[in-house]
Amino acid sequence: MTTNPEKPIDNNQLTNNVKAGGCSAKISAFELKQILAGLPKIKHANLLSGIDNFEDAAVYKLNDEMAIIESVDFFPPLVDDPYLYGQIAANNALSDVYAMGGKPLIAQAIFAFPTCDYPLSIAAEILRGGADQVAKAGALLTGGHSIQSSETIYGLAVTGLINPKDILTNSGARPNDRIVMTKALGTGVSLLALKAGLLSKAEQSLLFAALTTLNDRALEAARRVDIHACTDVTGFGLVGHIHEMAKASKLAARMVISALRFFPSAQEFAKQGLVPASAYGNRKSFEASVSYIKDLPLEISDLLYDPQTAGGLLLAVAENDSANLISAMSEAGIEATVIGEFTEGIPGHIDVLIS
Amino acid sequence: MKKSLDLRGLTCPEPVLRTKKLIDDQSLSCIEVLVDSEVNVQNLTRLGNSQKLSVICEAADEHFRVVLQRSTANSKEQESAEQHHHATAKAKASSTIAAGGNTISSTATGTIILISRNTFGEAHGSEKSKEDHDFSANLLNLFLQTLLQSGHEPRAILMVNSGVKLMDPDGPYIKVLNELKEKGMEVLACGLCLDYYGLKSKVPVEQVTNMFAICEYLFSADRIISP
Repeated sequence: MTTNPEKPIDNNQLTNNVKAGGCSAKISAFELKQILAGLPKIKHANLLSGIDNFEDAAVYKLNDEMAIIESVDFFPPLVDDPYLYGQIAANNALSDVYAMGGKPLIAQAIFAFPTCDYPLSIAAEILRGGADQVAKAGALLTGGHSIQSSETIYGLAVTGLINPKDILTNSGARPNDRIVMTKALGTGVSLLALKAGLLSKAEQSLLFAALTTLNDRALEAARRVDIHACTDVTGFGLVGHIHEMAKASKLAARMVISALRFFPSAQEFAKQGLVPASAYGNRKSFEASVSYIKDLPLEISDLLYDPQTAGGLLLAVAENDSANLISAMSEAGIEATVIGEFTEGIPGHIDVLIS
Repeated sequence: MKKSLDLRGLTCPEPVLRTKKLIDDQSLSCIEVLVDSEVNVQNLTRLGNSQKLSVICEAADEHFRVVLQRSTANSKEQESAEQHHHATAKAKASSTIAAGGNTISSTATGTIILISRNTFGEAHGSEKSKEDHDFSANLLNLFLQTLLQSGHEPRAILMVNSGVKLMDPDGPYIKVLNELKEKGMEVLACGLCLDYYGLKSKVPVEQVTNMFAICEYLFSADRIISP
């Protein structure tokens, strides 16, 4: 926070009036569990993945070779550039399909926009960014629904395709599997620093590149080894998603702080109090499942709970496959690291180690 | 010099940014900030700590008051050493809040009641009947009722394993546990255990704790009673 240029207030900025953008806007896991508790549990022979286990998307089997993946994701603006916002929101929605191991086929846009407060050209730019991202994924944007609203919201409902035997769930991790993660951590904190006008140009371009990178090539590279379980790191933060994967797989997990990659300056921003509200929500939801070393710096543990937008993949692979996976990723130009392992133990429990 | 800021109604990052601006003004020795969410308190505590300021936080009705003070001895406002010590101690307390609850002072002492099953002792006999179990469960309820009447004030009641079933809001124990809590005892249950028994979403989040905190409680206790 050495530069500290206070941002001029411009009423046309998309992120004005937005309390929490991106995955920071997510309802906390703790609250969500209470909300969902009353819903009927749906069982159907063709429903291969539903609400159970907090999966990334629903999977419905059409026949022995084909299943459809269905997911929806949207959020308020997290950047002021409308085209970039459209790209990021679309990327985040498409990510759920890759997290299940599938390929997106078609998408429909969900759009709420205050047509009285902003010029229509802004709306057009948001939709153009989304459409371009869908095209990048090789999918078709086939329509959508829009309403007038006091707050802007954009996202997609995405339908993907997968062979049922290739589905990657949360629940397949095995004891001694390595946890491999792509992309750096800290989008929530970095986006807050961006809103505060504290992110340098170089930091911005790294962040935006990550936020608009599809997980398609990471998945393709991962397919070269046997993947036991997979999810993407999004709103519940790294700890939340490892917890859900471990719990669904009836295993405990160990994660190693020194193996994590953070966005530049994210630790410094967290230390100075730029921590999104939902990181505190994630802490409340998941802290009971975590035991960490006593002297873990607060800014590091904040980043473990930091909600991620369009985060990377989290993969469980056998120990002797992990090196192959890392090199397959690096051949595809993707940085991936082993950040921990699954172990026998109390389901969902996470031990955080320094090294 | 002292300055006050009313930042109620603002959301992150605004309170942090505006407070940082005042911190950068070296002529100010004390900054008082009013905010209306716990998230802002926690973020301002982080900001204060990162700038080596002492942080005091007080909850008032509907809002919070955060006071950041420069810890230099030649501060323009002449503070007594005692006040200073007080401020630092409070700052430690608020960084405990900032760590997300569940963290306790390692110097704390007192009696801890550790309940690790939903009965008082174990139901007797190799083939335990439901009646035997009910008897042991009723004994536990009787123990808690008696504790409430006794005037003893243990520091905390910790529940682990099937002991967390006592926290069931529809169960027979919740009333007495809430009364014990009102008397000032901490009533805490292991989150993993609540999760295992499907109770986690039914228990207030501030009463959910983890093994790290349980371990700290047990090692800092003068005495542990395990019925």
